[in-house]
Amino acid sequence: MLATPYVSYDYNKVYEPSEDSFLLLDALEADLSWLNNRFNDAVPLTIEIGSGSGIVSTFLMQNGIPNANGLYLATDLNPWALDATLDTCSKNGCKNSHFDVLQTDLTSSIRENEVDLLVFNPPYVPAETVPELPHSNHAVRDDEWLFLALDGGDDGMVVTQRLLNGLDRILSCNGVAYILFCARNKPETVASKMKFSGWKSELVIHRKAGWEVLSVYKFYRN
Amino acid sequence: MKFLTTNFLKCSVKGCDNSNLNFPLRYVRENCQLEQDESIEFNPEFLLRIIDRVDWQAVVSVASDLGNTELPPNKPEFEENLTDEDMVILRDLHTLLIQTNIVEGQMQCKNCEHIYYIKNSIPNLLLPPHLA
Ligand SMILES: C[S@@+](CC[C@H](N)C(=O)[O-])C[C@H]1O[C@@H](n2cnc3c(N)ncnc32)[C@H](O)[C@@H]1O
Ligand SMILES: [Zn+2]
Repeated sequence: MLATPYVSYDYNKVYEPSEDSFLLLDALEADLSWLNNRFNDAVPLTIEIGSGSGIVSTFLMQNGIPNANGLYLATDLNPWALDATLDTCSKNGCKNSHFDVLQTDLTSSIRENEVDLLVFNPPYVPAETVPELPHSNHAVRDDEWLFLALDGGDDGMVVTQRLLNGLDRILSCNGVAYILFCARNKPETVASKMKFSGWKSELVIHRKAGWEVLSVYKFYRN
Repeated sequence: MKFLTTNFLKCSVKGCDNSNLNFPLRYVRENCQLEQDESIEFNPEFLLRIIDRVDWQAVVSVASDLGNTELPPNKPEFEENLTDEDMVILRDLHTLLIQTNIVEGQMQCKNCEHIYYIKNSIPNLLLPPHLA
């Protein structure tokens, strides 16, 4: 088993690594050699959307996932999350990887069809609405950032669905996306819709976490 | 933000996706502050693969925005056995692509002219509500 990165930050402002984060790490670990083979000789570009504490991006860099020559970007809406991500990365000594963090919505500022590995633990909790982005980086109540980490609107799928709708213009031809779901997101339905529009959709791992069942699916082209 | 990252950044405005002016962004030299990060080691093999991968036109364009007009207009090519001369070129590109960090700066879309800021090495590409 690969080691879990060391993380410490102010969890009033940034999502604390939880069962979902750990399941995502386990999914990526389970697929390590599949990913190594797929990106074998290349310089793959990896993007983690919504990196929060940075635990997932750090894990990827530390363990050479998808390979040892990777370029890494992490994005979040929450500026504190970007700070935490840099902090976690440096505390764990991933120095030689090419790594930057960006404040951006999903991948809207990333050149199209360049992403080889995309990883997203989204705000997946069903809620009335997806919270609006706090207007400035100052004078924002801390918990506003936490709602942004959790609330996913209708079925908890609004943010994830927005990403899936754009996936064809995000991933490179060999690209693959790992996305975390909870049962109330109806992941089987989502996966079969994706299949219907021509994607390979595979369940990588699932686990009961309290009263919630979490799962990670991967999507890639046939 | 490392220079290399500029090769992956476009304007966030959806409408600009149909223009070929949304990439690369234009870097406003007067307002950009650069720093060299010497801690990242030179690795010629890695660099060769990077060069293979990048959009060279964009590298040339951003370099010239930032005041470096020495780059060849076409992507350099290398033979199997690297000569001393090749190594000099690769070292230069290492300095530019990997070690150059834009700490503070401004970047502008050549299509819609929206300006984005880099602060503390972190670019902010969020849009104000009326553009999002
Ligand atoms: C459930 S947390 C996951 C954090 C971390 N990746 C982990 O696994 O522990 C979701 C993260 O996504 C961010 N987020 C929410 N909506 C986003 C969007 N539209 N674009 C980018 N990040 C977003 C939140 O700020 C939060 O940090
Ligand atoms: Zn634009």
